[in-house]
Amino acid sequence: MSDGPLDPAADLPLSDLPLADLRVLDISSFIAAPAAAVALADYGADVVKVEPPHEGDPHRHNWKNPGYPQSDRNFPWQLDGRHKRSLSLDLKNPEARPVLERLIARSDVMIVNFPPPARERLRLRWEDVQPLNGRLVYCSLTGYGESGPDRDRPGFDISAYFGRSGILDAARYDGGPPGISLPAQGDRATAMTLVAAILMGLRHRDRTGKGCWVGTSLYANGVWANGTTVAGALVGAALPVRHGPDKPRNALTNLYRTADDRWLQLLVVRDDRLWPAFCQAIGRPELETDPRFAEREARRANALALGSELAAVFALRSWAEWEQRFAPTGIPFGVIGRVADVVDDEQAAHAGLFAETDNPAIPRTVNTPIRLGFARPRKAGPPPEVGEHSEQVLRELGYGEDEIAALRRHGALG
Amino acid sequence: MTETALPLAGLRVLDISSFIAAPAAAVVLGDWGADVIKVEGPDGDPNRRIMHDSSNYPKGEVNYPWQMDSRNKRSIALDLKKPEARAALDRLIEKADVLICNFPPPVRDKLRLGYDAVKAVNPRIIYASLTGYGETGPDRDRPGFDVTAYFARSGLLDAQRYEGGPPGVPVPAQGDRATAMTLVSAILMGLMQRMKTGEGSWVGTSLLGNGLWSCGVVAQAALVGAFLPHRPPPDRPRSALGNIYRTADDRWLQLTIVREDKMWPGICEAIEQPGLLADPRFATVEDRRRRSAELAALLREAFAKKDYEHWRVEMGRHGITFGVISRPQDVPDDQQAVACGAVVETAIPGMPRTLSNPIRLGFADQRAAGAAPDLGQHSDEILAEAGLGADEIAALRAAGALS
Repeated sequence: MSDGPLDPAADLPLSDLPLADLRVLDISSFIAAPAAAVALADYGADVVKVEPPHEGDPHRHNWKNPGYPQSDRNFPWQLDGRHKRSLSLDLKNPEARPVLERLIARSDVMIVNFPPPARERLRLRWEDVQPLNGRLVYCSLTGYGESGPDRDRPGFDISAYFGRSGILDAARYDGGPPGISLPAQGDRATAMTLVAAILMGLRHRDRTGKGCWVGTSLYANGVWANGTTVAGALVGAALPVRHGPDKPRNALTNLYRTADDRWLQLLVVRDDRLWPAFCQAIGRPELETDPRFAEREARRANALALGSELAAVFALRSWAEWEQRFAPTGIPFGVIGRVADVVDDEQAAHAGLFAETDNPAIPRTVNTPIRLGFARPRKAGPPPEVGEHSEQVLRELGYGEDEIAALRRHGALG
Repeated sequence: MTETALPLAGLRVLDISSFIAAPAAAVVLGDWGADVIKVEGPDGDPNRRIMHDSSNYPKGEVNYPWQMDSRNKRSIALDLKKPEARAALDRLIEKADVLICNFPPPVRDKLRLGYDAVKAVNPRIIYASLTGYGETGPDRDRPGFDVTAYFARSGLLDAQRYEGGPPGVPVPAQGDRATAMTLVSAILMGLMQRMKTGEGSWVGTSLLGNGLWSCGVVAQAALVGAFLPHRPPPDRPRSALGNIYRTADDRWLQLTIVREDKMWPGICEAIEQPGLLADPRFATVEDRRRRSAELAALLREAFAKKDYEHWRVEMGRHGITFGVISRPQDVPDDQQAVACGAVVETAIPGMPRTLSNPIRLGFADQRAAGAAPDLGQHSDEILAEAGLGADEIAALRAAGALS
């Protein structure tokens, strides 16, 4: 991987990574909050994931969700569990509470995404844990915020980030159904906000010596992502409708489907200059002087007719053939990329999008988008089994073998 | 929440960037107390005009995108192609903690704004770089936009479509704003490192990298050879009870029925077709799955008869869960949008409310948004702060380097 400004010395030992020595408790489930913990771990933080015994984080089983790409490998958990150590504690068991309190007492950051009623029940609110550690940065993720009529609703990416914020409604063609979001798309964007919030909290702590509460909500992140349109709505401006590719306003800056079901983005803005060359390149020289399309004004006025002519033309050849035909002509065009192409895209390697792992289940993984000149993210190993590090973490807390055995006997420890 | 000092008070940020992702990161820093100086060319950031220039932007009487992306900044207008202006910029760089730059690499080289050149002037600076496609490689010099780099190139738009349909459409600046939060995180890591070592650093991100991070589940699947089939369109869903339906007033209901057997009677009641319950075509979960297109057609017709509000009440009455697909115009008046701190009041005349950034801190509130600056509004005061005398400032003006 090459990355221009990266210092050649950037492959630092773990102990020199910018977040080395940072102790993070990840008491969260599914994706947004755990992905924030991943991003911290990528840069050296020691993340202990607290999970319920046996089943663990339900995200461990999410890969069988019919809305996910189907694979024989548990790829989403590999991605969102990397670098973490797992401690399986039954937080409902009173015997587990002292263990958790000792963990909290020695942690720098604690990430929680239980809905508020569960936090109250488990005594995991900021006011519950703050007395245990005056230097703790407590990071809260909710679906809909910390107060208000919907604060107790569990929030999911599709409902809180995409549905409620107006993104899905706005991301559609005129007359068509709402847009589609991808699995965890908003969760993962929200993770970056959590990272920023945690880092601000740490900065505050380093300056004042005091811990603090930081957080965000999926809803606020969806509204932020939809900020241009919502800011327009705040001043009464309405979003213009987006015409589908079969009803272009300008047929020369439109999307066309190729014979192999790719979508070619035509971007002939200077059609005053390029129109003859374009007609040649698509093998329809007679269009050049067709009175419906000969002049720019006519082409705009007859955009629907030109669009349907071009749709038929582009459907005749594959994307590769069109690429070959257009490349020497100077006609601006592009393609709607596919995820399948990105994984082998040379530029993706340059941009550091993927990283090699020490994990045989996934030889390559999706890298953190945060790039630092002075450090590379840690290499990912396999994520932990449920409770894989329970005893190790407890011993670090000073528990003896007999105490650990007793916790197991009481079902507090998995 | 008793302390009032903002966490980034005292931080000096040079925003030498245009359009949205990078300037939005500067907004977030400004929200938390940083002193943000926007360095613009003589024509100003083109984002000042985007509401008029882009056919995809809602048109308002207030230039709301500019107000939002430039709140709490001060503007200096320098023509960086002129050597005098470039020399003046060095004086600003000397006193800055963070410099945000999103010029494509060749422009940075031409303007001596690459990391090495900036570091030579101020080794303690955090240099935050945003590119479309990364810092090296065949496409590093291509200007990157939200739609092309974050959405199209990453594969998001291709994946966000209904089977047989056209690619998805992103909302304006959607990926830019998400990327801004990554840039903020990168800058804060750089500042944390400086606290430890006393040294500045290069930090950055790319639009493509952020697009791919957000579709990480699908990207990680592709890395192990697994792909997501396109979603069937709403007229032939996999399950008619986990489908979307249009209401009479062109709203959409997202049925999200988990326990289908339990919900089916309620659905039949809600759509006022109790006879359906005894219809042998749809008697069991398996029947309904097998005949999902037939059932979807029936439900489509039923839901199209009444308005969204009617269905909201009726579905609630029958205990049927459904997802809200809000319209953007619903958000400003959504009580929860205010409760979660997304919609806030401003000190901007003509734009009484805006959107806060999504970071919440228990110990500080974000600065209230003040009006975005006019082009070069603060040119003189910024240069005076950097130690330039009145005669030097006048000379810059005379040379056409400053406006």
